[in-house]
Amino acid sequence: MQKSKKVVVLGHFGVGKTSLIRRFVTNSFSDNYKVTIGVHITKKVVEISNENTISLILWDLEGTDKLDTIRNAYLLGTHGLVFVFDVTRPSTFEHLNNDLDIVRSKVPNTPLIIVGNKSDLVDLAELDVLFKKNSLSVDFVTSAKTGETVDDLFLKMATLLNEDA
Amino acid sequence: MNENDKLEILKDILFDDGHKFEEKISKRVKNLEQTLNQKKKFSDKVDPLITQQLNEFKESIPSTLGPVITATLKQEIKHHKDDVVDALYPVLGKMVKKYVAQEMQLLQEKIDNQLGFLKRWKLKINSIFSGKNEEELVLDQLAVAKIEQVLLIEKDSGILKASFSKSKTIDEEMVSGMLTAIKSFVEDAFNQRSQNLESIEYELYQIHLQSFATHYMAIVISGNYTTSSKDKLQDVIFNFYNSFMAMNLDLVFETDTTNKPIETVSKPRIERELKKYFGNAKI
Repeated sequence: MQKSKKVVVLGHFGVGKTSLIRRFVTNSFSDNYKVTIGVHITKKVVEISNENTISLILWDLEGTDKLDTIRNAYLLGTHGLVFVFDVTRPSTFEHLNNDLDIVRSKVPNTPLIIVGNKSDLVDLAELDVLFKKNSLSVDFVTSAKTGETVDDLFLKMATLLNEDA
Repeated sequence: MNENDKLEILKDILFDDGHKFEEKISKRVKNLEQTLNQKKKFSDKVDPLITQQLNEFKESIPSTLGPVITATLKQEIKHHKDDVVDALYPVLGKMVKKYVAQEMQLLQEKIDNQLGFLKRWKLKINSIFSGKNEEELVLDQLAVAKIEQVLLIEKDSGILKASFSKSKTIDEEMVSGMLTAIKSFVEDAFNQRSQNLESIEYELYQIHLQSFATHYMAIVISGNYTTSSKDKLQDVIFNFYNSFMAMNLDLVFETDTTNKPIETVSKPRIERELKKYFGNAKI
């Protein structure tokens, strides 16, 4: 029987949460920026291994600079979290550890993947230095524009949730 | 100078110009004759060509002028919306009027069919007791509320547990998520987590939401959803809850707050039960 899991994607304004989901679900990208209001829900069935699939119900939450203002109602029953920041805007990751503490306190004991998006706009070597300098532990560096490691990120989440179930 | 000489002089005076004039006229007549003959020849040659060109032009209008006309129309509509509306309104108005009249006629025919001899007597009796006229009673019968779709959804996560549908047209998992998001938003915004969103209206459909401890049901209804229909629907829901849901621990208790072993119910089994309870329910 195919399992369904709720995955919440959250982060600051304009970090590319919606674009990441769009790239993953429809394999497309648009330069037109449209602000997400409230929440947008999409779905994709991910094949983990032969005949083993999992349906990811993706909750794309509106971006906010104050993560403690996220509506708790949207986080209820979450099976997995994806925290996205923008590698070109330090304001979206300079308080990353603090942001993650807030998220973990709201949704404890839940798999969490940390993603630095918009990698197509920076030099990867410089990015490494930046992460080390800021003591950031990042799981995936992605580009919704080129599609780089986007599928890997969600496949990783699906695998974690499959093990968790 | 004799009489004959005088006559000759007079002749010269009188007819010299006349002769020239006669020559001029004759020349012009010849020119005209020539022109007419040439035109006829020209026309005989050119007319078929013109006809052919015209035919070709007619055939090529859609491909040559079509895009230009479309682009112009689009631009006109964009820039002069009000004018376009004014121009189209009478035409569309007539079309809509005609459509409505036709539909009303069809409805009238349906009503007439319903008003068969025996049924008419039954309706008359019902009409006396209900206080409604016969047409109203027939309209009520035609617009009776019907259950189109039933979704059993996990309250917190919005994950679809099971569903029953007469015609699957939507992605039920996404709809379940979205309904849960709307429900959560409304309840959170009003700071009323203890109260529940009970219904959503969507054009011709009404979505009835019935909350339980860990799950809620979303029932999509078409037709005339009256208070009486709501009562009947709630009876069906509670009957389903008491007879089936309450017997299955994972549908009623929080998995992490109960010490009892949780019995997992398979999706096909729940869907069978949903069909059993909601499939032929009359509300």
